[in-house]
Amino acid sequence: MAEEHFLNEYVYHENTWDEMYDTKNIRHQYSHVFSMLKDLDVDSMSNRHRLAGELFLNQGITFTVYNNNEGIERIFPFDIIPRILTGNEWDEIEKGIAQRLKALNSFLKDIYHEQQILHDGIIPMELIASCPHYTREAYGIRVPYDIYVHISGIDLIRGSDGKFYVLEDNLRTPSGVSYMLENREVTKRIFPDILSTSNVRSVTHYPMLLHEILLELTSAQVSDPYIVILTPGIFNSAYYEHTFLAKQMGVDLVEGRDLVVDNHKVYTKTTKGLKQVHVIYRRVDDEFLDPLMFKQDSLLGVPGLLSTYRKGNVAIVNAVGNGVADDKAVYAYVPEMIRYYLNEEPILNNIPTYQLSDPEALKYSIANIENLVIKNTNQSGGYGMIMGNNISEREWLKAKSEIEKNPRNYVAQPIIQLSTVPCFINGKIQPRHVDLRPFALYGPQGVKLVPGGLTRVALTEGSLVVNSSQGGGSKDTWIIDNA
Amino acid sequence: MLSRIADSLFWLSRYMERVEEMLRIARTHYIYSLDTNQTSNSWKPILQMFTDLSADRIADLEHDNYSVLHYLLIDMNNENSTKNIILRARENARGIQDQITREVWEEVNAIYHSINRPFITMKLASSDALEIIDLFLKHSMMYAGITDVTMQRGTGWNIMKLGKFVERTIETLILVDKQFEIFDYDVSKERDITNWRFLLLSLAGYEAYLKNYRNNKHNQQLLHQVIFNPDFPHAVLYCLNQIDRSLRVLIKENSNPAVADLLRTFGRMHSKVKFTDPVALLKADVSVFFSELKQEIQDFNLQLRSIFFSY
Repeated sequence: MAEEHFLNEYVYHENTWDEMYDTKNIRHQYSHVFSMLKDLDVDSMSNRHRLAGELFLNQGITFTVYNNNEGIERIFPFDIIPRILTGNEWDEIEKGIAQRLKALNSFLKDIYHEQQILHDGIIPMELIASCPHYTREAYGIRVPYDIYVHISGIDLIRGSDGKFYVLEDNLRTPSGVSYMLENREVTKRIFPDILSTSNVRSVTHYPMLLHEILLELTSAQVSDPYIVILTPGIFNSAYYEHTFLAKQMGVDLVEGRDLVVDNHKVYTKTTKGLKQVHVIYRRVDDEFLDPLMFKQDSLLGVPGLLSTYRKGNVAIVNAVGNGVADDKAVYAYVPEMIRYYLNEEPILNNIPTYQLSDPEALKYSIANIENLVIKNTNQSGGYGMIMGNNISEREWLKAKSEIEKNPRNYVAQPIIQLSTVPCFINGKIQPRHVDLRPFALYGPQGVKLVPGGLTRVALTEGSLVVNSSQGGGSKDTWIIDNA
Repeated sequence: MLSRIADSLFWLSRYMERVEEMLRIARTHYIYSLDTNQTSNSWKPILQMFTDLSADRIADLEHDNYSVLHYLLIDMNNENSTKNIILRARENARGIQDQITREVWEEVNAIYHSINRPFITMKLASSDALEIIDLFLKHSMMYAGITDVTMQRGTGWNIMKLGKFVERTIETLILVDKQFEIFDYDVSKERDITNWRFLLLSLAGYEAYLKNYRNNKHNQQLLHQVIFNPDFPHAVLYCLNQIDRSLRVLIKENSNPAVADLLRTFGRMHSKVKFTDPVALLKADVSVFFSELKQEIQDFNLQLRSIFFSY
């Protein structure tokens, strides 16, 4: 008798949206992949898993873990089974994100100029005044085409009702786009037949789109614009991505020490002398950008950069001060922003969010902690998160006193059971929770998304935390149209 | 090109050249050590050239093949071990991934990952040592080939060539000087070809030597081959000719007034090698000639730094 096929061992969780199975049947978007995987056995899957790992390692898509003074190179875990969404699902996401970005961008323009939204009482003034990311140094700066959020990675999750919700807006220096592209390249190597017969929308044009937008930001008088990517350097965990984008766009990758400001213009130091820079796609955070304006001891930035920016002699992407719009407390007001600026109803919903600065909400949250997640509004990457269903009494008492000391810095949200997808782990196929980060580009021609994004997976069984710094992995994400 | 990038390209290239040269010397000497009795075949000159070990430590190690190989190739406490050099080559390459081709980066990265494998240490301490040396020698030649095939011939390429040939000039000079030092620069006595074989093999030029030179005036012929032969890729003159070509391209784009000084330093050194007569040199003092050249290439290197790489 033939052994049970590994695909048949898949058991999905109750009360969770599984993206491959609806209660009993395979969803139609997965049926083709499912039938092709049926022809493979566990060994063949394991071989593909190993090959994928080698491909990442040889290309240097790694991060370094230091142990006994010796650097050990690790790859970010990659699960070989693609995560699949239908073209219809995607079109809805695309519309929702474009709408949200337009509202957020209008908000940024407003908040650094007239501040109408505060005067009209839509957003409380004290919320902005107490936001550490509101950058007074950026007040009144005019940016090209009034675009602030050129590059964003809005995190979406899918609840047990199958609907997508916005988890957070990353409007500063979101990373992961190189993984979206590399994951696809690796899939081409490990499942060439399945990919080519599945009618998957292509993502490979992302660097070209980005390059076009960066070019469009230069003033019309410049015939040969000089674009650079500013990286914090090789020790940054996203350094691979910085080199990847520089290569794909054919622009220079620079560090702060390569740049110098003279007479309100920015230059690179080259073997032939100084060369003027017109656009900087910076992957350095605001507070490190200009030691004359922000952190004085920062060696990552360029002294005088902000005054150059204010004069309009250089475009900085993303704009300085975007942090005020992706603050976790301001997040709760995004649906209001959409109504206020666009006069539309939000297409993508927020997760209900309680501002703990409100004493009622604070009381409720403390009483119902086992159903809630509490987030620090000033931290990202999965740090400073308290999962109420999974915290010891002692830790909670400690956290509670911190929260009560400064409730403005915290929000609470109900714990959402993220949707699950099949993953190939230790020779078995098992459900794991995922989120989705589509990458959007906002240029003078409007918002553009490449169909796909980065699916992050919580590889630990039952875990809902997908951040790579917390043991998460990633998957190739397919948007397929029915043939 | 950014000065920082130029600096990294220069050093990537120097380090990779050094890896190849060191491995070839280690390989030649290791094979030598298998052939003769151990007392007459000490690693001392090689340890003196490539490490900063004290005389006592060298005396401890000099006849212990496997300890020496371990120290030269993979000991992390040895700043100049192959492993450390590869690590630094890769760090340089990592910072300029957008300026080198994907193929070059992947090769440097592959060498790095391969020298970190645990079995390398085990095999190097056994009779399989030669296999490991050959593996990395192949890798470094592969790197040279990939670089040649994929890199665009622009500023970056010329900077890389400068790095490669500055390093090669230094390596050749040090090695040749050491070989002459072993017999106190006494060139009055004609030496047998077997005395020079080690040097020629270490510079990958033994077969070429046998083809090129017909009589048995080996001292003179050898000096010609390793210093004055414009067609032998490890000869000092060949290296300087290559530097000359790249330098001409690079200075065209540079208006720094210090370029004139750089050209004077280089021109002096270049003409000296170009126009010295090997026969006359053998009658004069060879050691002075070597030490002057060594000093001049270092001065040239420093000027190069301040013009192209200071940032």
